[in-house]
Amino acid sequence: MKQPMTDPTPLPNSAPRPEGELERLEEVWRTPSGWRFFKSVNNTNIGLLYIGTALLFFVLAGILGLLIRLQLAVPENAFLAAGTYNQVFTMHGTVMMFLFAIPVVEALAVYLLPNMLGARDLPFPRLSAYAYWAYAIGGLAFFCTLFVGLAPDGGWFMYPPLTGLQYSPDMNADFWLLGIGFIEISAIAGAIELIVGILFTRAPGMTLGRMPVYAWAMLVVGLMIVFAFPAVIAGTALLEMERALDWPFFIPERGGDPLLWQHLFWFFGHPEVYIIFLPAAGMVSTMVPTIAGTALVGRRAIIAALLGVGVFSFGLWAHHMFTAGLGVMEAGFVSAASMAVAVPTAIQVFGWIATLWKGKVRQGAPTLFLLGFMFIFVLGGLTGVMVAVIPFDWQVHDTYFIVAHLHYVLIGGMVFPVFAAMYYWLPLINGNRLSERLSRWVFGLMFTGFNVAFFPMHITGLVGMPRRVYTYPADMGWNGLNMLSTVGAFVFAAGVLLFAVDAARTLRRPTRPVGNPWNAPTLEWLTSEDYGNRSIPRITSADPLWDQPTLSREVDEGRHYLPDTATGARETIATSPVAAEPRYLMILQGDSWLPPVAAFGTAAFFLLLTMKLNVAAWIGGIVAIVCVIAWLWQTDRQPTQGEARVGEDLVLPVGAIKSGSHSWWGTMIMLIVDGSIFASFGFAYIHVSMRLQVCPPPGASLAPLSQALVSGGLLVLGSVLVWLATHAIGKRRLPWLALAALACACASFALDMHGLRSTGLDGSSSAWAAAISALSGYQGLHIVLLAIVGPYLALRAWRGHLNHRSRATLDNAALIWHYTTLQGIAMHALIRLMPLLME
Amino acid sequence: MDEHFLRRALRATLPLIVWILHFGFVYATAAAQCSPGGLRPGGPDRVLLGCVTVVEMAICALLAWRARSVPGSPHAGLLDWTRLVLAALSLVAVTWNGIPLLLTSGCA
Repeated sequence: MKQPMTDPTPLPNSAPRPEGELERLEEVWRTPSGWRFFKSVNNTNIGLLYIGTALLFFVLAGILGLLIRLQLAVPENAFLAAGTYNQVFTMHGTVMMFLFAIPVVEALAVYLLPNMLGARDLPFPRLSAYAYWAYAIGGLAFFCTLFVGLAPDGGWFMYPPLTGLQYSPDMNADFWLLGIGFIEISAIAGAIELIVGILFTRAPGMTLGRMPVYAWAMLVVGLMIVFAFPAVIAGTALLEMERALDWPFFIPERGGDPLLWQHLFWFFGHPEVYIIFLPAAGMVSTMVPTIAGTALVGRRAIIAALLGVGVFSFGLWAHHMFTAGLGVMEAGFVSAASMAVAVPTAIQVFGWIATLWKGKVRQGAPTLFLLGFMFIFVLGGLTGVMVAVIPFDWQVHDTYFIVAHLHYVLIGGMVFPVFAAMYYWLPLINGNRLSERLSRWVFGLMFTGFNVAFFPMHITGLVGMPRRVYTYPADMGWNGLNMLSTVGAFVFAAGVLLFAVDAARTLRRPTRPVGNPWNAPTLEWLTSEDYGNRSIPRITSADPLWDQPTLSREVDEGRHYLPDTATGARETIATSPVAAEPRYLMILQGDSWLPPVAAFGTAAFFLLLTMKLNVAAWIGGIVAIVCVIAWLWQTDRQPTQGEARVGEDLVLPVGAIKSGSHSWWGTMIMLIVDGSIFASFGFAYIHVSMRLQVCPPPGASLAPLSQALVSGGLLVLGSVLVWLATHAIGKRRLPWLALAALACACASFALDMHGLRSTGLDGSSSAWAAAISALSGYQGLHIVLLAIVGPYLALRAWRGHLNHRSRATLDNAALIWHYTTLQGIAMHALIRLMPLLME
Repeated sequence: MDEHFLRRALRATLPLIVWILHFGFVYATAAAQCSPGGLRPGGPDRVLLGCVTVVEMAICALLAWRARSVPGSPHAGLLDWTRLVLAALSLVAVTWNGIPLLLTSGCA
């Protein structure tokens, strides 16, 4: 460990704190008691609910996994019928990936990051609450489809044509397609919260170089979610449109292509593996220095490697499609990228090994699980390089070798680090550590059970057992291996059960002071209450609790920044993204029932729509929209004071405007998501066009170019009017400019619809026409959004809620407006460019 | 923002952007030239793809060369190190991605 640094500069607040200050802080941040707890939006509370719910889904999906193993334990078993087995393995994969793996990494981040960054809370606490409740309500309802035989049964990747209407006529597939929709919304909402929080709410002095590696990992993961999830959102929308409207995106006889789904799904699905792994890697990079008692070796290289893995992982999607008939050269590129990603991954692994080597390793439960992680994950990584070799993949594709590989990667790369993390961070909840004695049993059962269950699957696959079969003949030579895997799975489950018993016992113990039980260097081990730390620390090191030995006491005494509530509201300090210099006082929204009710409405909309209960679904949808509008209406109000003192020598403005505001960045990230969804629809159009010999296909045509030009011109005019509105704050013309802009946008869309109708372009006639209809529909969705935004702006202006100090609503609305204009123009350009290119 | 956050972030991650452009171009071109709508006799244009690969390798090498002073510099920050490491990683990845051009041809 390095020698502690001495900071010669005076503390931000050197004087003793006045009486009543702490009481005021506690009052503002107090968590509601009783049933009102569920309206709490504090990220610490939401994080705990989030983690608990994700672990519940881990157990439920694990039970489904045990059912699978029971069915396959012996040949020709009749324990589960074929149809039931299909639902069980589909739900096992779907729940593990969508309801456990992604949520638990976001949940841990929502819980850990505010304290790790030294913030009182993340910037959009109501968004976090909404994301959690949408996930919890929708996820539980989705899981219950299993009990009525309506669970999806087409595999967690839902390949058409199996999941098309012809082969899956019932609602099972719809539940997957729409059910996963709101979970994706939840994940994206969480990602926006994390990105903006990591960039703008770090403790003063916590530069990018001093930011914890875990925060770096979550920043990369947040950005990956922003670019990866839109592909599957677009894919699910296309497949649902095919099923509901007979638009044949994936039907080859009508110009569609099943491979289009695979491209979209895996463009999400492969980065998804790293979206799950990188947070775990970040946790490992946080825990390893603590258990080794030394700084992370190669810290900067590891952070760069995180970025490298995040980007390279987007070039790997098609390695799930080596047997789907890709060209040999494209497959070669993807194979090469699959091997290249091993390099930055190895940088991290060698960094961890070097840190353990350099330090003095403390034995304990986290250490056991971290060593287990390294062993299992490295094996999974090596088989990953094996299946990146195309001829080998041809041999083992869709066999149990792949089942073994993916479980080594996912359980080794994510579940073991998460268990290490729970042993490591659980004391933050009530000060009690899990039992060290029991932890050896838990680890022994899980590690042994895992390897006994999944290592034989490599061999089962190599001798030819295919995936997703509900039973097998007795004379294939697979009997002993399958029985071994089943025994291992139950041993693994016994370890999880023992952990659950120990966790329940520990959490019921009386609360104790948390302290710093591992002598960790990161800020989450400072004393924390509902309001976070007593004061917001000033950081001078990457390992602040090691290098600033008096920091904990100083923070507890309120001698750092913002020891009070400066405005009487919940607040934290917004800092600059690179150097973490204090910029302004960020006002945070308080507890409210609106996020859970909006989430309930969202989940009801998607699930009831699936059940064709359209009226009830739209009621749910309208409830969600009304709640979100009510929630937004309360935001962006003129601050009660212009400035606030957060330290003896530091006075900050309250709130910020334009690109200085965190809400502006949140909106920008949301629009990047939006643009990525549009790009995915655009890709679908290009893909089906390239399958044509002649474009447009015989019998189809486009509206005259002049119509498209006028439509684009109207959009531009609308944007100009909105731009004028942004310069008309305080003027009576502002609301009328917004409404006139809306009229232009509506006229543009009406012209587009007229063009489609006049040419007789019907989405059900061909995949090409369907792709144009999908692009137009997506643009229409934005016009509907503007139809809400325009009157909302006008109303706020009339009610006096738009002024020079509270203009975020206007600036963010303008961003959405300009984006819609660009999207409309890009849509017309793309639609018309493809036929020209293919002439 | 006066920290020029986006510009600095872009500068640090420029090697990754080079890799994205390279991978996107070679994959999309090969796929397009093997599709019914854009079929090219003889398969993807390996000369074009090879030239693009060499150019992008040179760019990665140049970025790595320009960051060569980082290890010895006491003032080098995280973003400087990131640029160096990512330039090296991207050079390896672009080179590796070029190998299929030497080993494969056609649309089989």
